[in-house]
Amino acid sequence: MKKHKLVSYAKWGYIFIAPFFIVYIIFQLIPLLSTFYYSFFENYRSGLNVIGPNFVGFDNYVTLFTPDKNGSIDIFTYFINTIIMWLMGAVPQLVFSLLLAVIFTGERLRIKGQGFFKTVIYMPNLIMAAAFAMLFFMLFSKVGPFNQFIMSSGGEAFDFFANKWTTRGIIAMINFLMWFGNTTILLMAGIMGIDQSLFEAASIDGATSWQVFYKITIPLLKPIMVYVAITSLIGGLQMFDVPQVIGTYLGSPNRSTMTMIMYLNNYLGTSKNYGMAGALSVIIFIITGILSVIVYKTMANDSGKKPKKAKKGA
Amino acid sequence: MMKKKIFAAVLASAILMSVAGCTQDNGGNNDDGNQLETNGGAADTTTSAAESNGGGEVDNKTPHQVDTGYKLADDEGKVINIYCWNEDFKNYFEAYYKHPEGVDVNWVVNANDGGVYQQKLDEALFNQGDASADNKVDMFLAEADYIKKYASSDFTSALSYTPSSDIYSYTLNAATDVRNDQLKGLSFQAAPSVLIYRRSIAKDVLGTDDPNEVQKLLDSWDKFDAVAADAKAKGYIMTGCVEETLRCYTNNATSSFLSDSNEFQVPAEFTAWLQQAKSYVDNGYTLTCKRWDDEKSVQMGTDGKVMCFFGPAWYYNFCMGTAKEQTNGDWAVCVGPQEHFWGGTWLLKATGTDNAGLVEDIMKAFSENTEIIAQLWEQKSEFSCNKPMMEKYAADTSYGNDLLGGQNDAAIMAECAKNITWDPALHTQYDQTFQETLPGRMIEWFNGDPKTEEEAWSNFYKDLKTVAPDVVTPE
Repeated sequence: MKKHKLVSYAKWGYIFIAPFFIVYIIFQLIPLLSTFYYSFFENYRSGLNVIGPNFVGFDNYVTLFTPDKNGSIDIFTYFINTIIMWLMGAVPQLVFSLLLAVIFTGERLRIKGQGFFKTVIYMPNLIMAAAFAMLFFMLFSKVGPFNQFIMSSGGEAFDFFANKWTTRGIIAMINFLMWFGNTTILLMAGIMGIDQSLFEAASIDGATSWQVFYKITIPLLKPIMVYVAITSLIGGLQMFDVPQVIGTYLGSPNRSTMTMIMYLNNYLGTSKNYGMAGALSVIIFIITGILSVIVYKTMANDSGKKPKKAKKGA
Repeated sequence: MMKKKIFAAVLASAILMSVAGCTQDNGGNNDDGNQLETNGGAADTTTSAAESNGGGEVDNKTPHQVDTGYKLADDEGKVINIYCWNEDFKNYFEAYYKHPEGVDVNWVVNANDGGVYQQKLDEALFNQGDASADNKVDMFLAEADYIKKYASSDFTSALSYTPSSDIYSYTLNAATDVRNDQLKGLSFQAAPSVLIYRRSIAKDVLGTDDPNEVQKLLDSWDKFDAVAADAKAKGYIMTGCVEETLRCYTNNATSSFLSDSNEFQVPAEFTAWLQQAKSYVDNGYTLTCKRWDDEKSVQMGTDGKVMCFFGPAWYYNFCMGTAKEQTNGDWAVCVGPQEHFWGGTWLLKATGTDNAGLVEDIMKAFSENTEIIAQLWEQKSEFSCNKPMMEKYAADTSYGNDLLGGQNDAAIMAECAKNITWDPALHTQYDQTFQETLPGRMIEWFNGDPKTEEEAWSNFYKDLKTVAPDVVTPE
């Protein structure tokens, strides 16, 4: 009889998390699985005529991986474009954010007006990416302020958007400016979560700032760094709005700013090519999965294993 | 803390406002079709001008609705759904057309940006069979570059009346189903595109700014090319962008971009444009930008060095950037080396409409009702498809366009419009891709990346494969 008196609160837990799972299944899991399914069909529109769906097996995948006459495979080109533009923005962003986070949290520096600086560096993130991109598109246009400055100081107008490296650089810079504030705040939270006694102990032992940073901050910040790296990677692989505005749907110049999602978007435009778009989505899904695992493994390795060993030893 | 919060809020709003300010100015970076939209906004401002100086001597200068006397048939619905991509036609409709009492006019407006309009329209047309009578698409608008997709499909149905033979024939041909020669709709406007030149530069280069004299000096491409060299020698630039002359060639093409077996092919006219464009870029006769770039708009201002632009009435009246403020009156138009059209809005009758009679009455009113057409021209500078009406204005010596230094542009337009041809068989449902994406790829090549023409073409074939999977490309 006593058993009946035990109230199981677990079911309330399940009830409370159920809405998320229901929404997830309807709006994410089912579409995800149906994307896999549709990738095996020929299904598009020729004007207003619907072609298919006809089952074609792996034909869509074969088409995606068929090299053109120069031997290059489009999807690899776009993957590399995406990764290059992501790295150009993400690497400086991580370094810069880490530096800012350390400065802001530094006990010795005690920067005044932190709230102000934090607000300012986060602010670009509040602006719509497309609007931000439009702003830069105008700043760097051939008749924009930047070129007017060059011309007034005796130089010649430079067409930033006709050169692939300046175009990519501008896209990376926009992403950098938009996201470094966010990363800084995440890293600051990570650093502030580190036990202050460790820093105190280090300074009592006479460690230099560099030693504190390298031997204490960095290793203990790793879980947050992994989180930042993976979210940044996933965001980077899904890069779309900024290059779509800067390079237009053509990925100008010479398809050098065409990202994977822009390619996907082109398939879904006029032709509504659900088959090819499905296959492409599956590939992007797999690539994202693989890269996330790689990033996680390489970065989390040390911090993930050591505590376990330590526990065993203890 | 409070101080910090206020400070943060002020900063945030400052940044947001500066960005908003910048983006608002920027109408430039659009494709051909989209620019028609700005047409609408600009047209509105002219309404108030027309209203205020109407004065009342001619009734057509003040907006008033015209009653065609149409009575709803018994089987017609009380709701008419019209799909469009901007407010232009809606404004004209509301200002000039008195629809039968008790009818609810429902406008479904989806902007053209990124193909949204066509996507929404297509979905609605696909669902037409299941929709209730009052929710069916009754009439929709389409542009020159994609009208074929709709006119030559089962989603539009034939008009039950024969429009007046006074309508410019090309506007009717465009709305004809190529499969069975049925007329599916019509345009309320005609968009003859003319050569717009800057008077002061023409005077310097050609020694005259009189439209008749200038026309004589620029009536063939050989002469145009020669003048381009003269202009360059005097420090001017002949055309405002690489695409400036594109429509002269492609909208006069004598063969299609697609063969009967759906293979991609290049019309000779496109090749001719490509050669001209390349030589213009190499010789410095043109700016190397695209049609809607700011670089080109700047040239319409005080310090502009560009002599020639091409465009229809909607272009020079509403889309010429700073020209109206800075260089008003320093422009003139003539037919130029080749008659052609650019753009235009058609009204199409949707299959399954429960308001067939009303839809046709609207079409008839906007193409044949002289009172409406007169208002369109006198208040909105909208060049109508109605030939006798426009020829009447062409002969009117009292009329002059301020931007064009008092020139009667109707005369030039009317001369141009009657020679425009449209062979539905030569148009394809992918015209938009051929008219926008293909030149875009060529401009990349002109600007140095890719390095070769071959690469530019293969980039385009890749685009074409995503847009049109059923088209056979050479690569």
